[in-house]
Amino acid sequence: MTAVYGEASWFCCGAAWGPCGSAGGGACGTCASSKHQHAWPTVSSACTGITDPGACGVSLTARGCGFVHYVTNLCNSKEVSCSIADCGPNVHLFCGEKTCCGTSCGTNRLIDLTASAFSAVASLSSGLIPVKIDVVA
Amino acid sequence: MTTQVDRRRFLTSAALGGATIVGATALGSLAPEAAFGAAAPGVGPGDIDPQFAEGRVTSISGSLIVAAGSDGTLSAIQTTTGTSVWKLTPTSLSAIRPGDGLYARGVRMPDGSLAADALWVNIVSLDAHVANLASDHLDLDHHSSKIKAHVISGVSAAVYNGTPPVTDLSHVPVGGHVHVVGAWRPDTSEIDISTVYAKV
Repeated sequence: MTAVYGEASWFCCGAAWGPCGSAGGGACGTCASSKHQHAWPTVSSACTGITDPGACGVSLTARGCGFVHYVTNLCNSKEVSCSIADCGPNVHLFCGEKTCCGTSCGTNRLIDLTASAFSAVASLSSGLIPVKIDVVA
Repeated sequence: MTTQVDRRRFLTSAALGGATIVGATALGSLAPEAAFGAAAPGVGPGDIDPQFAEGRVTSISGSLIVAAGSDGTLSAIQTTTGTSVWKLTPTSLSAIRPGDGLYARGVRMPDGSLAADALWVNIVSLDAHVANLASDHLDLDHHSSKIKAHVISGVSAAVYNGTPPVTDLSHVPVGGHVHVVGAWRPDTSEIDISTVYAKV
């Protein structure tokens, strides 16, 4: 897979406080905010039907639960490795959305990291960050 | 890497020795932006990050916060004067209350406690459908739940299409979808808005 560039957000999953939508361990049943995990839009055909990255002209390789991606924050070059644990984000709802650090930009919401994974590369208050997503470190 | 190791050792020593630390040090800021990249070597994909903790605050005793994790474990979080705190805005340790939810990143100590670089108190990050826009709040739909998101004067901002944040939330698309970072009001279905990200 060629690395893809886009936006990353973060979410809570598993047993959690506050308005946490992905309760019960997420689509893979193993998701937890304290683990280096992420949601992926094409974790299953059913998931792809919901997230529909094709609506944004984005082609993402289908990957199953546990698959590892390497996510690099383009703002500071920090990288985190994380495994797929849930379905998301809803790519088609945010087509064309863009986040930049200077001239380093990511377009389209492609990946949702757990709080622990996101905070390994960015402050949680950042909300959205431009990232590179790859299958190798 | 050397800088991160030295910084870790400094923070650990300070927490153990109760030393007073200023926020900006010769090793670089201890602000949250400097806390990441501090995941311990060897944290594999899918693994629990030992340098991270989450839970609800059960007690605060001096510089020690005890939080009950969502998995039932208790976390002892040691704070220092160098610990950065976010509770809707950058703030101080005195703003933290029992019942608050938090995420913490720092350095795991030999006694099992976490010496915190950064605390994010009640922080939420969610995608939502905008059902209604009023002057002082948004009504959001999030995973079949209703959330009332309060607009806080002087704090709440909107980022439209990746442009710099503005305080004018009037362009938030009613009927559209947004991403919101905010602070949960504990034990309610309400949040205070830090930033709304919208494509318009």
